[in-house]
Amino acid sequence: MSSNRIMTVSRAISEAIAQEMRTDPKVFVMGEDIGKYGGIFGTTTGLLAEFGEERVRDTPISETGFIGAGVGAAMSGMRPIVELMFVDFFGVCMDSIYNLAAKNIYFSGGNYKVPMVIMTATGGGYSDAGQHSQTLHATFAHLPGLKVVAPSNAYDAKGMMISAIRDDSPVVFMFHKGLQGLAWMASPEAAATELPEEAYTIPFGKANIVRAGKDVTIVTLSMMVHRSLEAAAALEKEGIDAEVIDLRTLVPLDRKTVIRSVAKTGRLVVVDEDYKSFGLTAEILASVVEDDPAHLKAAPQRLAVPDVPIPYSRPMERFVLPNAETIAAAVRATLGKVREAA
Amino acid sequence: MATEIALPPDLWDAAANPEGIVANWFFTEGAGVRKGATVAEIMVEKTSFDIAAPADGHLHIVVGKDGVVKPGAVIGTVDGG
Repeated sequence: MSSNRIMTVSRAISEAIAQEMRTDPKVFVMGEDIGKYGGIFGTTTGLLAEFGEERVRDTPISETGFIGAGVGAAMSGMRPIVELMFVDFFGVCMDSIYNLAAKNIYFSGGNYKVPMVIMTATGGGYSDAGQHSQTLHATFAHLPGLKVVAPSNAYDAKGMMISAIRDDSPVVFMFHKGLQGLAWMASPEAAATELPEEAYTIPFGKANIVRAGKDVTIVTLSMMVHRSLEAAAALEKEGIDAEVIDLRTLVPLDRKTVIRSVAKTGRLVVVDEDYKSFGLTAEILASVVEDDPAHLKAAPQRLAVPDVPIPYSRPMERFVLPNAETIAAAVRATLGKVREAA
Repeated sequence: MATEIALPPDLWDAAANPEGIVANWFFTEGAGVRKGATVAEIMVEKTSFDIAAPADGHLHIVVGKDGVVKPGAVIGTVDGG
């Protein structure tokens, strides 16, 4: 069933959850302001009215409590979705996430499943300071036992949320606030997409080549897909043909698609909105050179937050976040080109 | 015949907030829409209102995304041709 609707990411997520709740009575949602308010980033809008308080549960500000309860519910046969309002708040509830949710399948020798979704808001760019603006992709991807996904558009968000709900392992579903299409926060136009009416899944571990090119490979995900596509469009005018890969999932990580692309282009730029050191950018570089250092014709470039807290000040925040200009400059550097003064 | 997509005059308290904006259109200009489908989202302060198509037909957008509106405004039409 095709549709000509152009839907936002937030609506895609809430539609995915509603469709799974209609077909599976085991699916329910818990979190702060996910009921009457509909989720502060619109992920649960309309669910309370349709499914009632038994299945759409507003919680107190007690992440340790309700995420721990989610783990227990999942191990008892339910399929909970819990919302950690900002990923930055993980500090108070990490034991529930990385010692319980992530490890209980392993600890029980596979006798228990933990079919749970932890959905959480990531990202900056709107001057909300260092404890509301992080992405923390690598913090979660680093820990064995969690699948970690971060969609860049509405079509992927719906399919990946349905895959997450149906998965028997815990999935950390990281949605970027600035992609949600909320009325009060600017969003790139391409984040909203045509959205099929029916339920569908997108397999984890399959990167998406969102722009094919022959000169350089840009590997990225989430919001930075849009910034990278802007950079690629600008570079095209200079005769540089960039390939842009949207990883879509960190765990599992589609190293094959990245390696195949770099083997073709010989040049690599990795863009991440997370911190630079010990993160995704290094993991991608390592994956390529472990396969064959000869893939690279030039030193790779990586763009990420330079190991500082995200500034509250708008100009300072803009300075630390990768953008189309800095991505384009990194691409030129891999090609040995310096932009001539205009 | 074209049917107007008009915001209800009492959609929000205009005395408190005189103006809202069209935050999203969920269909493109000329797209076929069904009566009752959510076609647009209006934002007033941080409150959102979904606007439904009043008839089957082709959408014509009068007030584009980010356009300023008041209660009762005609934001588009649906051409039932």
